[in-house]
Formats: sequence, structure tokens, C-alpha cells
Amino acid sequence: MAYEPVLTKFVNEPNSYTLDFYLKHQRGYEGLRKALTLQPNDLIEQVKASGLRGRGGAGFPTGMKWQFVLKDTPKPKYICCNADESEPGTFKDHVLMERNPHLLIEGCAISCYAIGAKVAYIYIRGEFFHVQEILEAEIDKAYKAGYLGKNILGSGFDCDVYVHRGAGAYEAGEETALIESLEGKRAQPRIKPPFPAVAGLYQCPTAVNNVETLCNVPLIVMNGAEWFSSIGPEKNGGPKLFCISGHVKRPGVYEASMHTTLRELIYEQAGGMIDERPLKAVIPGGSSVPILLPEQLDTPASFDHIQKAGSLLGSAGLIVMNDSVCMVWLAMNLLHFYRHESCGKCTPCREGSDWLFKLLRRVEAGEGQPKDLDLLFGVSNNIVGKTLCAFGDAAATPVLTTMKLFRHEYEAHVREGRCTLPASWRAEHPIFAAH
Amino acid sequence: MDYAPARFHASARKLAEQGGDFAYTPENQAKFDAVVQRYPADQRKSAILYALYLAQGQQGYLSPAAMSHVAHHIRCTAAEVEDVVSYYTMFFTKPVGKYVINVCRTLSCALLGAERVTEQLSEVLGIAPGETDPTGTFTLLEVECLGACDRGPVLMINDTDWHERLAPENVRTFVDDLRTRGVGALTGCHLHKEGGKT
Amino acid sequence: MDSVTLTIDGRPVTVAKGKTVLQAAIESGISVPYYCYHPGISIDGSCRVCVVKIEKMPKLQTSCSTLCADGMVVSTRDRDVVEARAGVFEFLLINHPLDCPVCDKGGECPLQDFSYTFGPAESRMDFPRRVFDGEGVKADVDFGPTLMLNRNRCILCTRCVRFMKEIDGDAQIGIVDRGYGSEIATFQEQGVHSLISGNLMDVCPVGAILTKDYRFKSRPWDNPGVVDTICTLCSKGCNTSAWLKAKPEWARGSRLIRMTPRYNPDVNGYWMCDIGRFNYHWIEGENRLRRPMMRGSAGSAAQAAPLEASAWHDVQPRLRDRLQEAGSGGAFHFLASAHASMEELFVLKQLAEALLGGDAMKSVSIGWEATEKPQPATTKFKVPVTDAPNVNGARDLGFAVGRGNEGPADLSGLRKAVEAGTVKALYVIDPAGPKGSLGDISWIAAARRSGALSLLVVQAVVTSELTEAADFVLPGSAWVEKDAIYTNDQGRVQAASRAIAPPGEALEDWQILVNVGRSLGVALPYESSGDVRRALAAAMTGYSEAERLAFMRPVPASTWMQASNPSERWKWDFLFQDLPPTKGHNVQMEGLPAQATPFIPLKPVQ
Repeated sequence: MAYEPVLTKFVNEPNSYTLDFYLKHQRGYEGLRKALTLQPNDLIEQVKASGLRGRGGAGFPTGMKWQFVLKDTPKPKYICCNADESEPGTFKDHVLMERNPHLLIEGCAISCYAIGAKVAYIYIRGEFFHVQEILEAEIDKAYKAGYLGKNILGSGFDCDVYVHRGAGAYEAGEETALIESLEGKRAQPRIKPPFPAVAGLYQCPTAVNNVETLCNVPLIVMNGAEWFSSIGPEKNGGPKLFCISGHVKRPGVYEASMHTTLRELIYEQAGGMIDERPLKAVIPGGSSVPILLPEQLDTPASFDHIQKAGSLLGSAGLIVMNDSVCMVWLAMNLLHFYRHESCGKCTPCREGSDWLFKLLRRVEAGEGQPKDLDLLFGVSNNIVGKTLCAFGDAAATPVLTTMKLFRHEYEAHVREGRCTLPASWRAEHPIFAAH
Repeated sequence: MDYAPARFHASARKLAEQGGDFAYTPENQAKFDAVVQRYPADQRKSAILYALYLAQGQQGYLSPAAMSHVAHHIRCTAAEVEDVVSYYTMFFTKPVGKYVINVCRTLSCALLGAERVTEQLSEVLGIAPGETDPTGTFTLLEVECLGACDRGPVLMINDTDWHERLAPENVRTFVDDLRTRGVGALTGCHLHKEGGKT
Repeated sequence: MDSVTLTIDGRPVTVAKGKTVLQAAIESGISVPYYCYHPGISIDGSCRVCVVKIEKMPKLQTSCSTLCADGMVVSTRDRDVVEARAGVFEFLLINHPLDCPVCDKGGECPLQDFSYTFGPAESRMDFPRRVFDGEGVKADVDFGPTLMLNRNRCILCTRCVRFMKEIDGDAQIGIVDRGYGSEIATFQEQGVHSLISGNLMDVCPVGAILTKDYRFKSRPWDNPGVVDTICTLCSKGCNTSAWLKAKPEWARGSRLIRMTPRYNPDVNGYWMCDIGRFNYHWIEGENRLRRPMMRGSAGSAAQAAPLEASAWHDVQPRLRDRLQEAGSGGAFHFLASAHASMEELFVLKQLAEALLGGDAMKSVSIGWEATEKPQPATTKFKVPVTDAPNVNGARDLGFAVGRGNEGPADLSGLRKAVEAGTVKALYVIDPAGPKGSLGDISWIAAARRSGALSLLVVQAVVTSELTEAADFVLPGSAWVEKDAIYTNDQGRVQAASRAIAPPGEALEDWQILVNVGRSLGVALPYESSGDVRRALAAAMTGYSEAERLAFMRPVPASTWMQASNPSERWKWDFLFQDLPPTKGHNVQMEGLPAQATPFIPLKPVQ
């Protein structure tokens, strides 16, 4: 059964980002119009019934998140749209915001209505300036057309949507760190509880939702919860964007149901491996999740299936690697990232990520000793579960997963004093022939 | 009260480069005044990143005077501004080149040769990552994932423009092009082009 | 008050609702380490050493951020907890320099103490340590007028950042950079400029922030005595501890080695200001009055004679004669500083009434200074304007104090009287520091020099323009040299304990007044300050408790060694009181099976 994209169907059309196009081809703002006739609670119930799970990484049911937002309070409530997209291997929100911004704007407005908020802040990462320009221009148009602002569509509902630009911090993707950053502080996570639903932005009840999550909301309102949950496996309903990068012929964002297997995604959608080289490993959900091996490629790319296979769907960023990739180098590359991006607030992550990177650099350079391998494992385990936010676990994962699956490569580095893989493909291959 | 010897060791911390006085241009001031309205009246600090972008856009980097100016507008202390500035990677506290070339070095780009792109850039520009060339035209930086992993190796020029799929062997041409044609030499974001946006 | 009952390490613990697990553990004497937590500032949850295991919770929890709930079952000794904690300690120590022998915090350092108890026996780190400003003493850099900063020692608990933001109100300290490169910094290295900066040394759980005043001066084991007292430099009456250094007879320098705040939730919380903390050097300074002094001969012509040190038994009769002479003229006046204690003012009142009869209260002026302190508007620790501890006490005794603690004393009437010659003899009592506590009183000295005043008696503790002009100088005592009570601006009667003895022949001020009175034939039946307090308590309404106030004596430093950080004396009160010193005896490991852990080498269980 061919899957018909709904989120990204038109992204390659010229002017797909414009309001006119959106109204003409995507039943633009019908969802909002319909939502405003419903009671906010019914809206939340509908989203709950759809089974929509957060697309940012944790896969937490969106309807539940909204339901937790404190109702009986004189304080204002907020929607924070997490558009910080900075998990390595992830670039789906980028496409949505750039090519289909009104879907997000409509999603923001509906979500605000559902939780009783009047303001939504879209926290976009600082590097997406070109995306922000489009988004802000389209928000302006939405205001002018009466889809945002005061008394939207004559309903008496007011809603403002603002874009807030970050300035280069991976940690800002963590929901409480995002809130801190929005408040003008360092993007460092807060202790939970209290959760944002109780005390989030400015200590007010707040729902933090990913771009793709919010983009699904208008579709659910328009087409119904049943339609949504019928796409994909049970509890993993709805259209899903997959970001495929690495050694594949056609890297990019692909929309599919979560029935789709990793193999289909890699070999059919993304065109298979460059040069038909064998696939060595795939990271299925952004750099923070455990690696899956070729024999696991028939796993459907759903939250639950991937978890059962020992990894996480995370942000659905598939990083595909062929047989030339040294796993020690991979861990080192990612720990360089995590060391650089660790916010430094809590001890294990701040000190541990630096220590792990130093150890990996030593081992990768062939200067490691056998004890370094135990140490890598020990230090990683001292980070996992002991940090303030999930970053610590994420930082330790590349080490733990590569050591679990490819310990022989680590041992070879220590034993031989060098990488024993054939001459690095990265260094030799004229990759751009493939594009 | 004299507590102890008068002279102490100086801190080795690199401070922001001193610049002259700083004040927003009327245009930037108007922009700031507009954006600060987006946040509740008692939450001006939310506008700090925007305020810093404005200052950096005006001066090229953030001098102590610029940070103090922002602190004044945000109504917080200068230390709080420096705290924020130093946390985020997109702010500079010393002058940078006209083109700041940020090369993504994280996994997906690295799998496609980002390391060699940096090497080549370094060779062609004659500067190591983190440095600015003597003419003040280029600054080379390695940065972490830019969020365009399907189009690696990706470069961000300054904090606004993109260049995608830069093969190491094309680096020399790219630099020459950038020198002569400026940002016109960049591919931009391919979605723009494929989407037909100009 | 609502309370909750939970179980910690098998012990039922009942605490007030709203307390965290860490607070409950501390209150019940169960040792849990912590760095980012400080009872006086907000909870951060970042250091991660206070982890505990709580049943029904999937992961280990930081006890500082977990609220107690009824029926909660907490373990601080579970193997998971012990290992996780040791792991975090290992992280804390991988970059911390091993310069404890030269670090001023050594011996009272929570990082030392806790890591000794809870940390791994050895580090597996074999990379060079992170260094910020240089190695060794070079790493100590200037951190403002009162402080030094050593970034190498910093464990980034951010207590100082939160203190400045939340308590001081002026967020001068921030973190620069991020992740492993994070460091504590002030804007452009300007340092901390605050009236309460000294508290930063107390909140710092390591030797990263030190006061210049205490740096290189002493070690905790050289401070054998600590006295709980109060500060009397302003009307707040902060509860403090005076630290005494042990030194041999022949050694130079002072015995008072530092002042630290002592927790009192109703007065000063955990804090004190820099004035009270650092302004004590004059007590044992060079200008201290150690012997009584008088001029060579009697009469107003004596002004030309030099002021000479003498002995009490020579001064007393001469002073009696001069006072009688002046008293008979009816132009006699007392000027007492509000730095004088309740006891002193009480005796003074009785003395004045006996000498001057019905007009006594009109013949005593109370003086004090008031200065507006530059502080942020949002500060949570406001230093009062009144620079004297006992204005309210003087008022309670019936002295005229005008607007009281709202402004400075008005001495203009006295000045007019002195300059007009209606007051001929003046007896000044000012037990405050070098600048005195009466404001600009150069007019008194001038009046004596011009002869407008024919007698000037000054009872003080340090030399000043006033003592230079006096006919008699009577050496009194500073507040740390006598047991006395003061009534602060809240009307709270507090005890200041004697930490050291007055130097030389200096006497406690109440004693001087009693002696003067007796020589003049006034019956003042007091043999100790306690006698005065008893009389005072009986005579004054609202002071019935005064005689029951406790005065402290130096506590042996061995007790204090347990307290680690001086600001956390409360911790000692709760945490260590039922435990003997635990060095070398690892209480936390009790009950654990002796079993080698695969990755973290823990110390063997003893």
C-alpha cells in the first residue's frame, strides 16, 4: 500500500510555503476553524484518542502532556514549540518550517486554544536563520489574514505566535533548558519536578512540543483521531518523518508510516548504500541512541519496535554507516560533540563527557591501554542515570553501544596501536559522485 | 581596610576585546523596542539573545561596552550578560573576519569528509580553525551539527547563510568564489532552490 | 504544623511538611553529602552527590530536590547509592588540585570531609588536571576588594552565583563558557563589590573563594577556640562566631582571627555583612588603649600638660576630685554611645540619678551614627543605617533617643550647651572602634582646647582626637571582651559573649562606671555583669529574660572540625552531635557486604 505523505507532500512544490498555497492545496486553517468550535477539553481528548506521541525524541503522548497543564491558575499559560532541532542526524523540522510553515503556525494556534494559552513561542535554533526569515514572514501573513492575533476567525480567541531565536546550544533542545533559554538565561536544564506543565516558562504552566508534533495537530483535528491512529502500528500512529543521512545514495527527509522497516527506509526510500557497500551499523534515532546492526533492519521504525530491538526511535534521525566506519572514531566524534555541548551544570556530565572524550582520543590514536577500555565503560556507567537531564545518558550511549557491539575494534586499537579497518573510506572516497 | 598584599596574580581568563563606546543605532534601538514587547513586561531578559544579535550585527562582535549596553536595556547585570554570551556559540567576544566559515564536524558531515573540508580550508586560507586571517576576511571555525545532515558537509557563513555539499576538492574554488562574489557564491539552503524560492 | 513520616535507612523520621529528603536526613543525623545545596539559597540539584535510593522510584534521586512524602522509604546506604555517589566524587575530584596542604579551606573543607567518607579511595584519572589561571598559589587571582578566587579548586556548585543573585541582589558572579570549560567569573574580572561579599567564602564548599582577610593567616587546627557571640557594629545584631587563634606568649599578632555568621532565622539568617566580618582588627590593634591616662596637674591649666599613662589607683582619686568639683557647678553632662551595652547604660543611669538627682536623664545624651549603606534595592540582607547596637536599649531605659534607629542621634543641643559654656564638664563613654560611634565630635575636643569645657573624661577603647584632648582617658572594652546584652532594632535582647580578655589594664565598661560611682560614694552593689543583669531584669519591664540569656565560652576547635564550613554550624548541631568524629571510620559503609566493586575502588569497610 503506497503511503500518501500529508506533512511533506508539497515540500518540493514552488511556493509551498506561502499562505495561498497552503489554503489552496492543504485545506489550510480548516483545522483551526474546526478546533475553535470545540471545547478545549474535547480537543485534548481528541489528541489523546489519536495516540499522537511527541516527535522530539521521548515519544511521550501529546494529549497527556496537555492534560497535565495546570488548569486552575490565574497565571497565563504558554506553548513553547521546540524548533531547536539539534540532535545530530535530525533535520525534519527544518523542512517543515521552511516548506510548510503554516501547518506549524496552525498547529501552534490550535494547541494554544487547547491548553488555554494565548502565546506560543517557537524556539528556533540560531543556525536556522534562513528558516526563521520564512517563518516570520508567513506568521505576519497569518496575522494579516486573521488566523493569528485578536479574535481569531471571530471566535473571541486571541493568540500570538512569536519566533525566538536561539544562539547555538544543543542543550536548548531539552524542554526545561529551552524554557531557561527563552527566559534569557543559559540553556541549562531545571530539576524536575516541577514539570513545565505546572511551572514552566516564567513559572507558568507550559507545554513544550516539537515542531513535527504540532504539525500533526491540525491534521488530527481535520481528519479525526481514528484516521490518525490508523496510520502505523498500534500506539505508534500517524505520519512520521524520517531523516536519513550518512552513506546512502539519497539522504533526506522521508515521510512514512511507522510500519515501514528500517530496511525499506534505507534501501527503498533513500536509494540504498553508496557504491552498494555493506551496511555496518545504523543509528536509528539521532546520535543519542544505541546502534542497530544489519540483522535488525527489518524492524519497523516505530517507537515501540525500535525500543524492543534495543534502541530508541528518538528524533527519527537515521545515520547509516558502511563497513569503512571505525566505531572508535564514531564514538570519539560524538563525544567531541557531547563534550562541546554539555551545559556544565551537573557534575557527571560536565566532567564525564570530557574524560570520555580524552580517553577515546587516546584509544583512537592507538595510544590506549587495556585499562582504558574498562575505564571507558566504568566512566560511562558513572554518568548514566546520575545526571540532571537525559543529556548524560545520551553522551554515554555512543561509548556504551559501540563497546557492546564492537568491542573488538577497541581492543584492536589498543593491541595494534592503530585502526585495523581498511584504509578509511572517509579519507579516500569521492563521495560526491553519488549526489 | 587593607587586608593583604596589594598586588595579586591576574586572572588568565581571556576577556572580551575592548572596543570603543557602544550604543544601538536608532534603527537597532527601534528593533529592540519592538521585540521586547513580545515578552511579558517583567521578563525583559527574554529578549537578551535578540539584543545580543543586534549588538553583534552592529559591531561585528560583543565588546564589554556592548555587553553593558545590552545589560542596561535588559535591566540585568553585565555579569549576567557575559554569562549568557559565553554560553552560546554564536556570539563572539573578539573581532572576526568578514566571512566566518563554520564547518560542521559532527557525525553525518564527518562521514562525508567534513574533516578534509576543514583541512583544505585551513590550507587554502592559511589559518587554523579558530583563527582569523590577517586581512580580516575569513574566520575558520569548526562547529557541531548544523541540522542539515542530508546535505553534508555543510557550512554556515556568518550566522545567516549556508553552503551545502562542499567537497574537499572544491574548497579552493569555493574560497575564490566567495572572495570575488561574496555570499552569491553560496548554494544557500537547497530547499530554497528546489522549492523555487529565489 | 503538618508533618510527614518517612523511613531513612530503616529509621522512621518525622519532619515538617515541605522539607526535602536531604533536610530530613540532616535533621535526623543521617549523613548525606552535598555541595550545591545550601539551606540559605535556592535548590539547584546540580552537584549530584546527595543521591539516594527511594523505593518505587526508578532512578536514584537527588535528595536535595525530592520532597518528603508519607511512607517514603529512603536508603542512603544501598550499594547503588554508594557506588553512584563514589562515582560522582570521582568526577568532582578529577580536576580538583591536590593542594589541600596549602589551601586555606583545608581542615574545614566539605569536599575533603565528604570525599574522605564517601569518595573512592583513589582516582583513575591519568590525564593532566584542568588548570585555569596557573598552578599553585599563582592560581589565586584577585576577586574584588575582599576576596580571592582560585578557579582550579572550583567544583561549580554555583552557590556563589545564586548567593549574589538571590541574597545580595546584584548578580555580579556568573559562569563563563560552558561544559568542561565553565568557570566562575565576574564581568571583565572586575571582582565582587558587595557589602556582604565575605559570605561567599562561607558558601563556597571548597577553597575557591577566600577572603583576603583570612588567607594564609591560620588553619582550623590553629584555632582552638570559637565563641558564639553577636556583632554589635550596627543595630541588626547579627549572630556571629568569633574565632580565636592559639599562639604562644611570644608570638605577635592578634588572637581574634575571623568573624563568621551564625545561623539565626529571625535576625541574620546564615549571613553577616563585611563590616562586621572584617572590622575587628582595631580590637587588638596598635591604637588600643591599655592603661588609664591623665594629665599632670589639676585645674583647667592642665590642658597644656601631657597625657600620661598611669595606674587605676592613681587615676581614681584624681578623677573623683575633678568630678566632684565639676558636679558642684551643676554643669556636668554624660555623653554615652549607643554602643554601650544594657548593663553599662543601666549602671550609668543609676550613677547619673545618684549624682544629678531629678535632672539626671536630661544630663545624659545618647549618641550614635547612621550611614546609608550602598546596597542593591533587591537585596535580601539589608544592612541597617544605624551604626550602633543598642539604641532601642537606651530608649527602653528611658534615655532620649529621638527618632531612634531611623536616623543619626541629634547632639546639636549638647553642642550648643557646650559651646555656650552651660556644660562645663563632659564624661564621654564610647566603646566603639577607631572612628568612634558618635559622628563628628571634633567640637568636643575643640571646646576642651578652647577652655569652654573645663573637664573632659573619655572612656574608650582606642586612641582618637577625643582621647587626645581628654583630661582623663579610661580604657574600656570592646564587645568581644565582655559579657553584655544589647537590644537590636527588632527589640530583640541578645547576648554578646566575651571571647577574649581586655588588654592590659583595660576594664569592662560597667566596672569602670561602678568604680567611678563608688569613689563618689554612690552605692552600686555589683560585683559582676551578671549582678547588673539581675538588677536590670528586675527593674525593667520586658527584660525579665535578660538574666537567663546564655553566654558562651570558647568551644574547643575539635568540635568545630566537624562543622566543616563555618557558615554551616547548624549542620554540626544536627548532623554530628550524636556521632563521634568519623575520620577513618566509615559509618556510611556499615552494613554493606565487603565486596570489591568492579569499577570504583572503594575504601575497605572497617
